[in-house]
Amino acid sequence: MDALARSNVRVVGTPDGPPMVLAHGFGCDQGMWRYVVPQFEATHRIVLFDHVGAGGSDASAFDPVHHARLEGYASDVVDILEALDLGPVTFVGHSVSAMIGVLAARARPDLVETLVLVSPSPRYIDDDGYRGGFSQDEIDELLETMDDNYLGWSAHIAPVIMGRPDRPELGEELAASFCRMDPAIARHFARTTFLSDNRADLAGVTTPALVVQCRQDAIAPTEVGAYVHERLENSRLVVLDTVGHCPNLSAPDQLVAAIATFLAA
Amino acid sequence: MTDTAPAPTPAPYERWEQSPSGLVSLQPDGTVLEANGTFLRWLGRDRSDVVGRVRLPSLFSVGGRIYWETHLAPLLHAEGRFDEVALELKGPDGRLPVLISAVVVTTATGTVVQVAISSARERSRYERELLAARAAADASAARAGLLLRATAALSGAADVGSVADALLRAATESLGAAAATVWVPDAEHGLRAIASVAEDLATSPMPDLDLDLSGNVPQTRQGRVLVPLHGISSVQGMLSIAPRTDAAAEPVDLDALSGVAQQAGLALDRATLYERNANVAHELQQSLLSSETPQGEHFVVTTTYRPGVVGLEVGGDWYDSFLPQDGVLSVVVGDVVGKGLGAASRMGQLRSAVRAVAGPGVGPAALLTRLDHFVGQVPGATSTTLAYGEIDLRTGCLRYACAGHLPPVLVPADGPARLLWEGRSMPLGLGRPGRPRTDAEVQLQPGDQVLLYTDGLVERRDRPLPDRLQDLVTAAGDLHNRSPGDATATLMERLVREGEGHDDVCLLLLTWLG
Repeated sequence: MDALARSNVRVVGTPDGPPMVLAHGFGCDQGMWRYVVPQFEATHRIVLFDHVGAGGSDASAFDPVHHARLEGYASDVVDILEALDLGPVTFVGHSVSAMIGVLAARARPDLVETLVLVSPSPRYIDDDGYRGGFSQDEIDELLETMDDNYLGWSAHIAPVIMGRPDRPELGEELAASFCRMDPAIARHFARTTFLSDNRADLAGVTTPALVVQCRQDAIAPTEVGAYVHERLENSRLVVLDTVGHCPNLSAPDQLVAAIATFLAA
Repeated sequence: MTDTAPAPTPAPYERWEQSPSGLVSLQPDGTVLEANGTFLRWLGRDRSDVVGRVRLPSLFSVGGRIYWETHLAPLLHAEGRFDEVALELKGPDGRLPVLISAVVVTTATGTVVQVAISSARERSRYERELLAARAAADASAARAGLLLRATAALSGAADVGSVADALLRAATESLGAAAATVWVPDAEHGLRAIASVAEDLATSPMPDLDLDLSGNVPQTRQGRVLVPLHGISSVQGMLSIAPRTDAAAEPVDLDALSGVAQQAGLALDRATLYERNANVAHELQQSLLSSETPQGEHFVVTTTYRPGVVGLEVGGDWYDSFLPQDGVLSVVVGDVVGKGLGAASRMGQLRSAVRAVAGPGVGPAALLTRLDHFVGQVPGATSTTLAYGEIDLRTGCLRYACAGHLPPVLVPADGPARLLWEGRSMPLGLGRPGRPRTDAEVQLQPGDQVLLYTDGLVERRDRPLPDRLQDLVTAAGDLHNRSPGDATATLMERLVREGEGHDDVCLLLLTWLG
C-alpha cells in the first residue's frame, strides 16, 4: 500500500529547507502541531502524518499484530521516510511518538539525523527502581474510561464547531476529525502505548536528541524525562515552564524556541 | 396563584452556588479558579482545599486524568470546547460518574475555561448495561464467525496432520496464541507432540498428565492454556497454547477456544478412523501386490508400484504375473474403478479371478469373456480395465488383449518402440452381445520388452492423451540402456514428476530373453 496515503502524509513549508517530521502522540492527530507548524514553515520542509487509525489515515491498514508493538508504528514511519526520500530528517515525536522515533532511529540511523522527544516516556508503569507514574490497575482504568466513551465518542467528542466566528483560523475539515479515532483502534493503541516497555531501546542510540519535558506532567513525570536524558547517550534535556502533557498546544512558543535553539547548535 | 407575588429572583451568586450542575471555572492550564457548592459537595472537600490549589484533572480517577491530558486538554486548546464526555470524579464515597462539558471563554480580562458537570450515576449505569450488552453481542458474533471458519477448516482436513494444522491456524490467527502445539495420546510417553506453530516440536513443554480431562474447559498451567480434544468416545489429543504477551494482546477467549477444541476433537476422531481405514486398504493392496514374480531362463518380469500423492486412499490398480500352465507366462495390469478399501478388495477378487480363469485352452479373448460374467456378480467391479498377455515360452509368441485399457508398449531390441493397438475391446462388463472379445499376436525377438501400465503413468493435465502416449513411447525407447530392474524406476521418475502424479501407478515390464 502507498505509505503516504495510508498515513495521510502532508508536506508543507519550504521545499529547499531541511526536512522535519512532526509525529503526533496518543489521543489525537497531526492537528496537534497546528501552533508549531507556522513557526517552522519559513525555514523547514515539514512532514505531517497521522498514525494508522488516527485522523485521516486509512484505518483499513490497521493490523492488530503489526500494531501491537511500537516497532510496528516505527516501521510505518520508516515506510514514510523511504517513500518521501528526503534524506536524513529531524524527527519530532510527541508523547508515544517520541519512543516511536527512537525505535525508527535505532532501526534506520541513516534516515534520522536528529531526534526531538517531546514529553517522552519509555515505560508508563512503575517497576522496581523505576517510576513511570502509573500502576497496572490505573492503566486498566484508563481502558475502562475509554470504553465508557464508546457510545458518546463518535457523536460528541469532536464538537460541531462549524462557523465559529471567534476562531476563524480553525478549518472545518480538521475540526470534524480532530481527536476522533476508530474506538477499537484507539483502545488497542492505548494498550500498545501504555503497556509497552521500551527502556532497553534507549541504550546504544547515538542520534543527537533533545528531550523536552513539561514542568509538571501527569502522564510523563519529570523523573521520566530525566531518565530518558540519562539513558540517551547524545541528548540534552530542556524543561518547559508549563503544565500538562501537550506543550505543542499549551506552550508552542517555548517548545519552538527550544527546538530552534537545539537545531541551531 | 395569580395573586401571589412573584418569588424574588436569587442573586447571581446564589444561582451559581445552588445550580443542580457542578460548575467550575479554570485557568487555561486547568487550575481551579472557582467551584460551586454542588461540585464541592460531590467532592466532599472544602473550597479552600480546591480553589487555586488543584488542577481539575487531578480530581478525576486515573483514567479520566490520562484522558484529560491526552484528549480533552488538546481539544480545549485546539477547538475551545468539548461536550458530554463521561468521566469519574473521586468523591468521598467512591467514584461518581459524571458528564462534563467545557468551553474556553476569552474576555477583556483574560481567558477562563467554564466547565459544567452533571451527575450521570443513573445514565452511566444504563450506558454500562448497554455497553456490556453490545460487547457481549459483538463477542458472540465474532465467536460465531470464528467457530464457523474453524469448523469449515477442520472439516476440510482429511488426515490427522491436516486437522492439527487447521487447529494450529485457528489458534494463532483467531484465538490469541503466540505459539501452540497439538499433542496426541501415546502408549509409551502418555502424550506425543505431532504439530506445532511458532515453537519447536521437540521443546514444547508436555502438558501435565494429571489434568482434568472430563470437560472441554481450558485450563491454565505454567503460563500455558491447555484444552483437551474430545472425540466421541475418548480423548483424541490436547491443544497447548502459549498466549500472546505483547502489550496490546487481548486475553485468550476461553469460550471460543473450548468451542474450537470440541470441533477439533471430533475432527481428530474422524481423521484417525479415516487413516486407520486407509492403512487397512494400503496393507491389503501391498499384500496383494507383493506376491513373487515367476522366474525363468527365458524372461525377466519387473514391477513397480507408486501410490498416489493426493489423499490417503489407495486406488484399485494392480499387476500380476504367473504361470497358468507349463510353458506359458501370463502378465496382467488392471485398474478397478473407485478408491479405498472397497476398490482394494475388488481388485483382490479380480486378481484372483484372472488367475482362476487362465489355463489350458483359454486364450486372452476367452479369458476376458469369462471375466465379463464374473464382474456381473461382484458389485462395483464392472468397468474394470485390464491388459492381459500370454507368452508361449517355447516360441516367444505373445498373445494379448486389452479390455478398455491403455495399449501396451513394445520396445524391440532393434527398432523404435511402439504401442500395441490391436486386440482391443470394451472394459469388463460393458461388452455388447454380438461383439465378441478379441485378441492379437506379436512375435517377440530376444531382447524385446513389453511394458504394461495403468493410466497414472500418463496422467498429465497440461497435455492431451495422444501426446502423453507419445512421451511414453519416447521414454520407453531408452529402456534398453538400463537393466530391467532400473528400467521401471527410471521410467516412473521420468514420466511422473514429483508432486505431479495424483493417481496410483502400476508398471510391469516383461523382458524376453529368447
